[in-house]
Amino acid sequence: MTSSHRLPPQPGEVIDRAQRFTFRWNGRPYQAYAGDTIASALAASGVRVLSRSLKYHRPRGLLSADFNDPNCMVTADGEPNVRAAHRLVSPGMSVSSQDTWPSLRFDVKAANQLVGRFLGPGFYYKTFMRPQRLWPAYDKVLGRFSHGGYAPTAPDVDRYDQRYAHPDVLVAGGGPAGMAAAVAAADAGARVLLVDEEHHLGGHLRWADAEGLEILRELRAAVQAAGIEVMTDSVVTGRYDGNWVSVLQRSVPGVRERLVKARAKHMIVAPGLIDRPYVVGGNDLPGVMLSTAVRRLVNLYAVKPGERAVVLTANTAGDAVAADLGRAGVDVVRVLDARQDEDVVRIVGRSAVRAVECSDGAVVDCDLVVTAIGWTAPLTLATVSGGRAEFRAEAARFVPVGLPDDVSAVGGIVGDGSTDQLMEHATAVGREAARRASHRAVALAAGVPHARVTAPADTPAVAIPDLRPAAHPMLSLGRTDGIVDFSEDVSAKDLKSAVREGYDSIELAKRYTTATMGPSQGKLEGVNSIAAVAAATGAGLAETGTTTGRPPYVPVSLGALAGRSHQLLRRSPLQGWHDSHGAAPLYAGSWVRPDHYGDPAAEVQAVRDAVGIIDVTPLGKFDLRGPDVPDLLELLYINKWRKLGVGSVRYGVMCAEDGVVLDDGVTGRLGPEHYLMTTTSSGAEATYDWMERWLQTERRQWRVHVTPVTSNYASINVAGPRSRELLARLTDLDLAPDAFRYMQVRTGAVAGIADCVVWRIGFTGELSFEVHVPAGHGLHVWKALLATGSDLGIRPFGIEAQRILRLEKGHLIVGQDTDGLTQAYGAGLDWAVKLDKPDFAGKPELVWQQMRDDYLRLVGLQPVDGAVVPPEASQIVEDGTRIVGRITSSRMSPTLGHAVCLGLLAPHLSSAGTTVTVRLPGGGSIQARVMPELAHVDPEGVRLRG
Amino acid sequence: MATASHQRQRSRRRPGARFSAFGLLRQGLTRADWPRVWRHRDLAGSYDAVIVGGGVHGLATAYYLAKNHGMHNIAVLEKSYLGSGGSGRNTAIIRSNYLTPEGVRFYDRSVRLYEELACDLNFNVMFSQRGHLTLAHNDSSLRTMRWRAEVNSLEGVDSRVIDATEVARLVPQLDMSEHAHHPILGGLYHPPGGIIRHDAVVWGYARAADALGVHLHQGTELTGIDVVDGAVRGVQTNRGTISTPVVVNCTAGWASVIADMAGVGLPITTFPLQAAVTEPVRPFLDTVVVSGSLHVYVSQTARGELVFGAAVDPFPSYSMRGSLQFTESVAGHVLELMPALSQLRMLRQWAGLCDMTPDFSPVMGITPVDGFYVDVGWGTYGFKAAPVAGETMAELIATGKTPDMIAGFDLARFADGRLVGERGAAAVGH
Repeated sequence: MTSSHRLPPQPGEVIDRAQRFTFRWNGRPYQAYAGDTIASALAASGVRVLSRSLKYHRPRGLLSADFNDPNCMVTADGEPNVRAAHRLVSPGMSVSSQDTWPSLRFDVKAANQLVGRFLGPGFYYKTFMRPQRLWPAYDKVLGRFSHGGYAPTAPDVDRYDQRYAHPDVLVAGGGPAGMAAAVAAADAGARVLLVDEEHHLGGHLRWADAEGLEILRELRAAVQAAGIEVMTDSVVTGRYDGNWVSVLQRSVPGVRERLVKARAKHMIVAPGLIDRPYVVGGNDLPGVMLSTAVRRLVNLYAVKPGERAVVLTANTAGDAVAADLGRAGVDVVRVLDARQDEDVVRIVGRSAVRAVECSDGAVVDCDLVVTAIGWTAPLTLATVSGGRAEFRAEAARFVPVGLPDDVSAVGGIVGDGSTDQLMEHATAVGREAARRASHRAVALAAGVPHARVTAPADTPAVAIPDLRPAAHPMLSLGRTDGIVDFSEDVSAKDLKSAVREGYDSIELAKRYTTATMGPSQGKLEGVNSIAAVAAATGAGLAETGTTTGRPPYVPVSLGALAGRSHQLLRRSPLQGWHDSHGAAPLYAGSWVRPDHYGDPAAEVQAVRDAVGIIDVTPLGKFDLRGPDVPDLLELLYINKWRKLGVGSVRYGVMCAEDGVVLDDGVTGRLGPEHYLMTTTSSGAEATYDWMERWLQTERRQWRVHVTPVTSNYASINVAGPRSRELLARLTDLDLAPDAFRYMQVRTGAVAGIADCVVWRIGFTGELSFEVHVPAGHGLHVWKALLATGSDLGIRPFGIEAQRILRLEKGHLIVGQDTDGLTQAYGAGLDWAVKLDKPDFAGKPELVWQQMRDDYLRLVGLQPVDGAVVPPEASQIVEDGTRIVGRITSSRMSPTLGHAVCLGLLAPHLSSAGTTVTVRLPGGGSIQARVMPELAHVDPEGVRLRG
Repeated sequence: MATASHQRQRSRRRPGARFSAFGLLRQGLTRADWPRVWRHRDLAGSYDAVIVGGGVHGLATAYYLAKNHGMHNIAVLEKSYLGSGGSGRNTAIIRSNYLTPEGVRFYDRSVRLYEELACDLNFNVMFSQRGHLTLAHNDSSLRTMRWRAEVNSLEGVDSRVIDATEVARLVPQLDMSEHAHHPILGGLYHPPGGIIRHDAVVWGYARAADALGVHLHQGTELTGIDVVDGAVRGVQTNRGTISTPVVVNCTAGWASVIADMAGVGLPITTFPLQAAVTEPVRPFLDTVVVSGSLHVYVSQTARGELVFGAAVDPFPSYSMRGSLQFTESVAGHVLELMPALSQLRMLRQWAGLCDMTPDFSPVMGITPVDGFYVDVGWGTYGFKAAPVAGETMAELIATGKTPDMIAGFDLARFADGRLVGERGAAAVGH
């Protein structure tokens, strides 16, 4: 297609006529210049219809011709919901319309227009109820009403990124006011970040006259000279507490989008003004455009937007657009001046504008209707910053009031004036912003929290010249009903009827009609929605109020929000060895671990008969130092610690304040004021938080340093009757039973590696030594153990074997054998609870629990038929279906040749010898017997202490 | 148990007010206005009961009081607009696959009431029972799921553990590769679960309650509760004083503040819960997908938007502004599950307030003050419980007897140490 609607070169055009290329629109080739947006290139080829509306599938064309344009959502190279009036077209790009079938030109769903009178707002709430059995079918049909493009199905090959920025002053908006404010702040010494949504700085100056273009050139030069960091095609999407500002940056080389997180000492909001659509019959026909859209098309893209135009104007922008059109060779057949009470009654046409019915009764043929009826101030950034929107009736728009000390506004959202006046105001605000930012820097350096820093009083504030909105007639709803929300296809009539039905506040009407809830987020349609509700209730705009603005200011891709994936998969330094030796991976919390090396039963056997080694690196490990560590341990654990001597370790259990078991582990005393604490692998982070919570809030006077050292050590458990013999070959430590007793700790060299921590404990129920090796040497020690123990029958064992071993021994796993209600006594930890301690976390609840007898208890269980292993989570029932407990752990015991279990059981069934009914998940049930001990193997602990 | 079979009131609606396909046709042809969904009323000097909170719990309680128990002289006080609190901020997921038998029975009754609700209220609440899938990323999640499935099936609720192949068939967009950071090993599938139009539930109850004579007072804020000799005598509002023997606290976020007006303390801490929605795309995700490990849940509305939610914020606050950190983390987690969605755009984020109790279960029933009832502490699970909560609270208020189904949720349990064990299934299990 040729660019039949392209004008000769324009003074402010942004296209590069030297670079011409082809792209495709709905399968057909079109020409574009570099710098064209998708929409401008199509408009230059005479394409007027870009989309179909959501509900009635009415044809839609350019309205605002910028990012906010609700009528040009397209799919570009597979990406859905691309804003065609903002996205630059590129060579070979494949662009298509969305939700149009079989084609954009002929769309069968346009038939919805024929039955439109039956499809009023919320019609779906009123029907499809009977017969009830047909609802699922109705449900599917209603889903077809969803609009938009198709979600991609293939993984995105593009990259997304994030970065941080720490500007003194962040300016959101690069029009003349934003640029002037940025330059002034930079000249006052501030480090400035200037962000603009468009591809070029300049705002409305880009389509100004020669004088305006000259000012723009000077401003751009000043921005560059001032060393300001400029981000174009970027937008401030939100402002959070402490001036934490999110910026979506596009057009970054090599990266599709980047989320910039800026801690700005001061933010200046300068979004300019949005041309408000006029709500009148036919206002959504292709060929009805806002004055700013026409000015963009003519001046930036050299596109002739029509042949015969009618202009409705209420301000100077409308006057200027008429001049632009004349210069572009468009026949301006009628200019209606709203200030002279001239009006458009209705716009006529079927698939495009054909004529306009004027208030004097004349019907004027045309193919272009341009409106300039008033301005909307986009206030989302101001209101999410804590400001309010206040209606100024004389100016017919909302303005921001009540901004916090660290946010200012400049430009059109504040008031009107000549370019000089706007820049003079912005310059003062920019200097004041720099002053406040420097004060804030001093305060923050002194440690004053961001929220408490106020405007400085010591240096005089910069005098800000007065800037207020000029008088403007209020135009919103015309004499006939038109579309208010273009992306949601909601008309003024819909809103009014919603109010009459009883949805008579702006929030209820919004929710009922979905006005302002679509992709354009209320920027274009917000004020008109309020006006329609106000018209129906008889209240004014001020009383009707606005809906709550919410971030983001523009929709942000999930890719940019997520940034690069920083998901942690934690691997022990031995994991590579496990992988290369046939270990089945087990994903536990953030760790990948060896589940087994092929034969867990044989691994169990090796530990029971000879010796095995297991990688237990993920155990949470904390280095505790300071004179008050015993106080901390006494507080957190339910058992006693004060008498723990240097060289000893102890098993401890922590409870939450509700007495529920939180975590367990072994802690050892390495020196007078030096301890090493271990926690469960999955509980490490929570335990760290728990310790720090006490130390930072309740016990700040305690001298305790907690250092997480989980990954600093590779931890290897050497278990089995021959473990002592094996370890003795690799260390000079005296391992003799009397020299290194059960529950003791030694530090020394193992396999030539100094500073290993070795403690003698027994989770597996066997004689065992846990060796914590400086992580970098873990693999060396692991290999040395295997090599040295080959004649002893050594085997590596995995988590599965460890689980079997500990279950045979009756050692509980917190979170598996306990749940969110299991208090210490319920977990069978009676022996550990020391209620005679003055205080510890959970004590009041445990005192109470001890007096009661109504809680589930952890018991050992064995199925009567020892060959059947009831799956974990099988429910224990009474009288058929009443749940009285459940199996928490179960395995076939290779040692006993019999199924063994742990379970939580109601108190009246928990005494030894009771037989209970276990319901199997697949159906059927089995009998199981309650055992006298939790331990099924070696309850006396002979092997452990050997 | 109170059911719909209780004395059915004759409809007090004006002719032409009934919603139906025929009604739509007639209205479309005549261009007549629909009658108002509910009326503006003057504040009366006395009511038989005053319900505080015009959300779905308060409205449901009022509706069932009027419908099942013949109490019509009732006021619902709402300080803002109907449904302005948690009712309009939740992610509208309905399910009953809880962990304890009591919890499962309770939420199952709610699901059944929701299934009938459109016909019962004559207002289509668009309950889309598209299935609810909780993903297991590790074997401890699988174990808890088996536990839930067992309890569910014992209580007659359709809920089962499925393997990775079936997960992939249900939701083809999921990244099922073994090398995903959080590989998907299986899931708990709950076919009757789904999503609903939350606003429609609010409006449907409100309209039906109004039709039964209940007075709905928007813009009416409770400022005090008069208690004399341990019994409720009346309330003060910004619009005047009301005498009443019954006050029902159906608020969220400010539940403890309201209870304090009656001198009743509640063990509640308030946390924000954030949510977000994307731009619409054509329908592709039928099932509600939940990942407990990743703290995220995703569903696609009939409008085509993806709705995201997460766990409550880590610290207590009354802030409803939403944080950048939330959007980053929820986007990251969604992309881990469905990497192809990176080009979808987040359109809007918001927050609601969740009143958390120590045992992740509500507080319902009587209080030490005669005539002061509570239906509070609904944490992150209030919306899905609204019908059954309204039904049982209405029964309690009308008969004076606490229904068995909510006996375990009484306020006294915190003093008696009888906590309910729903932490596991309620914490993130939307």
